[in-house]
Amino acid sequence: MTTTTEVPQVETLQLVDGGMNFDGVQALEDVSISVKSGEVVGLIGPNGSGKTTTLNLVSGMLHPTTGRVMLGDKDLTRMSMRKRARIGIVRTFQSVRVFGRLTVAENIEVAALGCGMRRHEARELTEELLEELNLESVANTAAESSPAGLIRTIGIARALATRPKFLLLDEPAAGQNESEAVELIEAIRNISRRRACGVLLVEHDMSVVMSTCDRLHVLDSGRTVIAGLPQDIRHDPQVVEIYFGKRH
Amino acid sequence: MTNSTRIRRLFETPILLVALMGLVALIAVFGDPTITRVTVQALIAVVFVAGLSLFSGNSGVMSFGHVGFMAIGAYTTAYLTIPVNLKSSMFSDLPESLGFLATIHAPFPIAVLVGGLAAAVLALVTAPIMARLGGLQAGIATLALLVIVFTVLNSWTDVTRGSSSMIGLPKSTTIWWAAGIAALVIVIAWAYKKSRSGLQLQASREDYLAATASGIAVGRHRVFAWVLSSIPVGFAGALYAGFFTTFNSQTFFLSLTFSFIVMIVLGGYLSLSGAVIGALGVSVLQEILRRFQDGAFTGGISLPAGIADLILAAVLLFVLVKAPLGLMGTRELRLFRKRSIGSAS
Ligand SMILES: Nc1ncnc2c1ncn2[C@@H]1O[C@H](COP(=O)(O)OP(=O)(O)O)[C@@H](O)[C@H]1O
Ligand SMILES: [Mg+2]
Repeated sequence: MTTTTEVPQVETLQLVDGGMNFDGVQALEDVSISVKSGEVVGLIGPNGSGKTTTLNLVSGMLHPTTGRVMLGDKDLTRMSMRKRARIGIVRTFQSVRVFGRLTVAENIEVAALGCGMRRHEARELTEELLEELNLESVANTAAESSPAGLIRTIGIARALATRPKFLLLDEPAAGQNESEAVELIEAIRNISRRRACGVLLVEHDMSVVMSTCDRLHVLDSGRTVIAGLPQDIRHDPQVVEIYFGKRH
Repeated sequence: MTNSTRIRRLFETPILLVALMGLVALIAVFGDPTITRVTVQALIAVVFVAGLSLFSGNSGVMSFGHVGFMAIGAYTTAYLTIPVNLKSSMFSDLPESLGFLATIHAPFPIAVLVGGLAAAVLALVTAPIMARLGGLQAGIATLALLVIVFTVLNSWTDVTRGSSSMIGLPKSTTIWWAAGIAALVIVIAWAYKKSRSGLQLQASREDYLAATASGIAVGRHRVFAWVLSSIPVGFAGALYAGFFTTFNSQTFFLSLTFSFIVMIVLGGYLSLSGAVIGALGVSVLQEILRRFQDGAFTGGISLPAGIADLILAAVLLFVLVKAPLGLMGTRELRLFRKRSIGSAS
């Protein structure tokens, strides 16, 4: 490689001291989390610990009651979810929310159009994504009639169609067994590396994220338990107690 | 999907529907005057329902207010085509600021065009409301629009003659006008459905939140479809005026709205083919029911008035229960069914 090759700029997306209060219920308190371009950060914690709420704050679906959302030194706290999508911060939903009666190909194409791509560009990208995520066989069927196992993949393909700089995934591997989940997250990893895209990935299964994420962030009851490298977190006594302790 | 498949799928449906319009027009050409009347009425219904489906089919928001746009088209046509000398005696109390209405005159094609544009002006004024509201609220807002238009037409008698009829319009709507404009509107509605705006609006219909999360400006697309769909519906009003040559404020209100809703729901509001087939089918059904009510099939004994509407309402209820998405669902008329689906497997 020569020096003329352009190095993609590394950006950081951050939630700073984020807090969320729902009519008196403090769902999230003082949570700070950051994702850099090209990095996969796992957000884990038991049910109800505030993972989806964190993702909602970062994606702009909810606005925090305290704290800020920053992209580099730009404050996004008040920016709408739609605007964030258009500047490359895109989420998926825990319940996927596919466009049921549109075809799988249209689901992908329309997201590309939504972020301002031209028609032929959107179509080309759709073909690429269909191939990359093995969705070609269902491309022209209604999304709602695709096999259940593919629905989540459609959601991911739709998010990728916006050419995201940061991808926020809410339990992309839900409903899959451990090896399937690891395989899916590995695929997401490769995709994000190729695009130098940062990924914030919510997952409730600790063992799945251990092998696939660069960094982990553990939540419990709306607070950060610990954040760091997977190997440091695996043996943290607090994590072992609140996390493994509860489940087994 | 290969390119040729894509292109075939893109043109197949509108070509079939336009051909259907030609076929229907031919029936009228060779039929007796009654058949011609029914056919023209049916084609005007196609113009209206295809225009309505441009908005409702893509946005998923049912509009009960489009008959208001139709009224605007009809009244505009009346003012532009009633002979000037007759007009000045019909409207002696025009407010000064609208005095020009007594003297303007235009040939029918211009009246149709201006009727569509006048409807679009009303759509533009009401667009901010449609951009903000969704689902049930939007549906109720459209009903309010219908009531507002009706009330103004009914009360502002100096300008509209209220419940006294508009008279003296020349009979201008021929079968070819009706069929030609129906074909044009079908092409416009199809082109919108396949456009980038149309696809984004359909996505919002399927899931508003996910559409927003994909960067789609739902309000903007909804406004565009709302305004665009009012134009053909204004055309339908102009065609109606030029065909029946007389109407009053009551003409464009609930009963006409109900007819069109039955058409679009029976055919399938998510499908342009459904809207067109519903408009044709229900127009014919209405004619048969009307004759039935007048005693045509009961040995001359006429049945109580309103029986035709009751049967139509019953049919609507049956379809709503049995097939909520109507006859066509999300399908479109095609020659080669499902050829390319699953081709990669
Ligand atoms: N919109 C809301 N209104 C009220 N409470 C909420 C809302 N969303 C989440 N919560 C509450 O916030 C807490 C965290 O929820 P969530 O972020 O969905 O957890 P997780 O995704 O980790 O399972 C839960 O107690 C939940 O009941
Ligand atoms: Mg959750």
